[in-house]
Amino acid sequence: MKTQTAVQTFVSETGGWVASQLEACTRCGMCAEACHFYQATGNPEYAPVWKIELLRRAYEQRFTVFGRVKVALGLDHPISDADISRWSTIDYEACTMCNKCALVCPMGIDLGSLIHAVREALSAAEAVPADLMAAVNKQVTEGSPLGVTDAVFDQRMEWIADEWEVALPIDQPGAEVLVVFSSIEIMKFPGNVAAIAKILHAAGEKWTLSRKGREVVNFGFYEGSPERTVLFMKRVFDAAKELGVKRILVTECGHAYDALRWNAANMMEVPAGIEVTHIAGKLWDYIRDGKIKVKRGALDGGGTITFHDACKIQRRGGFIREPREVLGVLAPQTFRELTPNKEEAVCCGGGGGVIAIKEADPNRYAAFELKIEQLRAVGAKTVTMTCSNCRLQFTDCVAHFGLDVKVAGLSELVAGALES
Amino acid sequence: MNWNAALEFARGPFFYAALIIFIGGMTYRFVRVLLLGWKPDKVPGKGSKLGGVLISYLKGFFIWPFIPWVKNTFTRNPLIYLAGGLFHLSLFIVLILGTAHMLVWKSLLGFGWPTLPLPIVDWMAAAGIAAMIALAINRLIHPVLKLLTGASEWLNLLFVFLPMTTGYILTHHLFFPYEMGFTIHMLTVNILLIWIPFSRIAHFMFYFFSRTIHGAQFGKRAVTP
Amino acid sequence: MPEKTIAEELRGRGISRREFLKLSGILAGAAGLMEAPIHALAKPINPVERVIQALQTKQRAPVIWLEFQDCAGCTEAISRSQAPTLVDLVLNTLTIEYHETLSAAAGFQAEEAKQAAMKKYAGAYVLVVEGSIPTGDGGVYCTVGGRTAVDLLQEAAAGAAAIIATGNCASFGGIPKANPNPTTAHSVMALVKDKPIINIPGCPAIPEVTAGVIVNYVLFGVPELDSLKRPVAFYGNTIHDRCLRRPFYEAGKFADSFDGVGARQGWCLYKLGCKGPTTYNACATIKWDAGLSFPVQSGHPCLGCSQPDFWDGGGFYQGQSAPLSRPALAAAAAAVGIGAAVGIGAAVINRSQKTHPAVEMAEAPDAKEAK
Repeated sequence: MKTQTAVQTFVSETGGWVASQLEACTRCGMCAEACHFYQATGNPEYAPVWKIELLRRAYEQRFTVFGRVKVALGLDHPISDADISRWSTIDYEACTMCNKCALVCPMGIDLGSLIHAVREALSAAEAVPADLMAAVNKQVTEGSPLGVTDAVFDQRMEWIADEWEVALPIDQPGAEVLVVFSSIEIMKFPGNVAAIAKILHAAGEKWTLSRKGREVVNFGFYEGSPERTVLFMKRVFDAAKELGVKRILVTECGHAYDALRWNAANMMEVPAGIEVTHIAGKLWDYIRDGKIKVKRGALDGGGTITFHDACKIQRRGGFIREPREVLGVLAPQTFRELTPNKEEAVCCGGGGGVIAIKEADPNRYAAFELKIEQLRAVGAKTVTMTCSNCRLQFTDCVAHFGLDVKVAGLSELVAGALES
Repeated sequence: MNWNAALEFARGPFFYAALIIFIGGMTYRFVRVLLLGWKPDKVPGKGSKLGGVLISYLKGFFIWPFIPWVKNTFTRNPLIYLAGGLFHLSLFIVLILGTAHMLVWKSLLGFGWPTLPLPIVDWMAAAGIAAMIALAINRLIHPVLKLLTGASEWLNLLFVFLPMTTGYILTHHLFFPYEMGFTIHMLTVNILLIWIPFSRIAHFMFYFFSRTIHGAQFGKRAVTP
Repeated sequence: MPEKTIAEELRGRGISRREFLKLSGILAGAAGLMEAPIHALAKPINPVERVIQALQTKQRAPVIWLEFQDCAGCTEAISRSQAPTLVDLVLNTLTIEYHETLSAAAGFQAEEAKQAAMKKYAGAYVLVVEGSIPTGDGGVYCTVGGRTAVDLLQEAAAGAAAIIATGNCASFGGIPKANPNPTTAHSVMALVKDKPIINIPGCPAIPEVTAGVIVNYVLFGVPELDSLKRPVAFYGNTIHDRCLRRPFYEAGKFADSFDGVGARQGWCLYKLGCKGPTTYNACATIKWDAGLSFPVQSGHPCLGCSQPDFWDGGGFYQGQSAPLSRPALAAAAAAVGIGAAVGIGAAVINRSQKTHPAVEMAEAPDAKEAK
């Protein structure tokens, strides 16, 4: 563990953006009320403001007169190995980077990006939980944290195409859209792959998959390493450039969209003229524009169906209205909103890399209890979402808690209601 | 003790010095942060950043302090929300719409404005003081705040609390002869003016940074901030 | 030299018993005895009886009234007072005095009379001083008969039993002392340290108060004084405490201008610069012109004329709450400039840390943890 590397990273990443927001904080503690990990466990160290405490200390101790004086007088301690170790646990195992804290802060401080900055420093100091780091390294060497190598990819695609009787074009020249799946879908929810393929064919899209750019998931982004984040995004962008597509379609994955759409241009040279889109928005676009026809009320009759807002696609992605329009068509009678919802929605508890870390399981399950309450309050029989990490969390927790709730990806529901 | 001479000092040279330190100190703090470097945002927006900023400010000034339904999360901890809002509202009303302070602004700026009747301002002052006490107690018992609070947080509370209470005492002519109360009030005000640029109380200046960033980031993603 | 008591004097002038009692009552009121502390007495005594006792035992007090850097306003006020009985009593019955302005004699004759009085009553006379005393440039700014005011004051004070400083100039320096104080004017108490001094500030001092204080001194000695040596009986409350417009202050009804609605309705003059809250005087109770009115009642804010340095109190029409000194735009701009410069310096140092790690970084963190 290289503590001084962490401190130096704190220092070098502190520009006006970080500094002005650290100065704006009044230590009011409101952010804690927004954090599902704090709400679920009552552990005050999970307060978002506490998660960025090391960043604040580094800033104060190195950039302010009072801070320097306090260290000189022994009234404040420089950041230690123990600090780095402790905060590694807090920032990776009790934070899903959902950014609800930013919404609640009376000053409007963007805590999510500040916590990300802390992760960046922890990553530079090699203080990342082992499970997560193993997954990152796997993605570096094998192309996917879940081990979807070239060979596995070909295998799975063949099997899905066969099983669901759907064409999965790979490395097709002349395509307009590059579709990039997440390995979670490929390995755990193959029905999603088939569903999205069906929808794209029905909508008449000229699309293709790519072997090189087969993984949309970005564990480097979870880790907070700019190098590895860029490495993984580059694979996708390079593929898109090579194939000469106009658009990249991110399937049901949340943080991938955050990285590719909202961060890539600030971290690397992004090839010009390639738009990054998400299936959550496209589903409604296709229905609204009449490119696909779905059976109205196809989902009514299965009990109450509700929608889980994925933090990175709804609150952080902007696709809040679209899924609701879709469900308004598919389940006009039985769709009910969770409370709270939309940009105030409660995180599933599994994102940000948390689900990949075994040590974080207690936190993850505790946080999910908030979702259980929400589901019960609305009497949901089915819950659908546009992120397969959320879906993985829901699926795992439904099994863990023995709940009687169906978990479905929105694309699969739409595909199931397609009318030819 | 010659309170007349003390009052002349507190209202005169000491206030002058305190105000100069305040102006210089705030400028220093602002410049020191502003010039740390900003990276340009090359990401194309989905929605309007400017729109997000406008909504963010409207909500911050006009809606958040007043309307409970704003964010569901606030119902989880109504105390901080209500007490914090009430405290700030009280400060605003007493410092800007209170006659005694308006006359101070008039002497500094050259123009004054209509003010609220004393009983209303007085009630708001009392409410503000009560809110501060509630917030101080909360800081002692809330587990997160206990973790966050250090000496500087307590000093912030104290240096703001003193002018509020001494001002209230002065207006009601309680305990001290007027010139003594006035002197004490001015001393606490001067101390506060000197403390602000070097403490978290300067957050009101950085509010404009964080709120703008917040509005822009949410507006960019076409999400209501 | 055997002197008659005051009571004997009065009887000698043919004043009846009834008139004597009435007079005692007036004097008791004038002396502010109703508010004098009676805890010192073994048992409470009717103030009028106290006065009668005093009149029957005390003699007429010699008074020497000197004027220095003044406008003679305090003398004018007392001599034109609407309460002839009281002033008449004071000037003609309780005291014998030498008064420059009021005396018929002038020039050398007046000077001789004064010297004779000071010699005859040495150690027993009351010195009343009106006007400030300049010390600048050797005291040349105020001289009488070729001698400086400082000199004259020290001479007269040496043989005085007590000194009464009447008016703001003698009490606190008054208008001559106002910024920039070109004559280096001083108050009496700044120059005389070894005699009891009673200040009766005001611009001018309320004549009934001056007279009442003299009565008090003659009959009972130095009254209870506040920290600025003003008699508590008359200067124990502020104008604000006794003001007839106080209910409007409490209700927050202020006049915004001299001809506005508020002014016509008689509302509080706080916004027009009234210094009532910090001004100790008897204007709101005794008032002026035999209780006719006082500035606030007539619609003008109190100037604070019985307070030290009221001329430099921020301006007569500036609100009481406003600060006395404020930075000019140039000073504020300088502060901004310096703040910005220091800020830029700090930012430069901070930015260099971002690209060039500090040397201490190289040391092992554990070893350096407790600094």
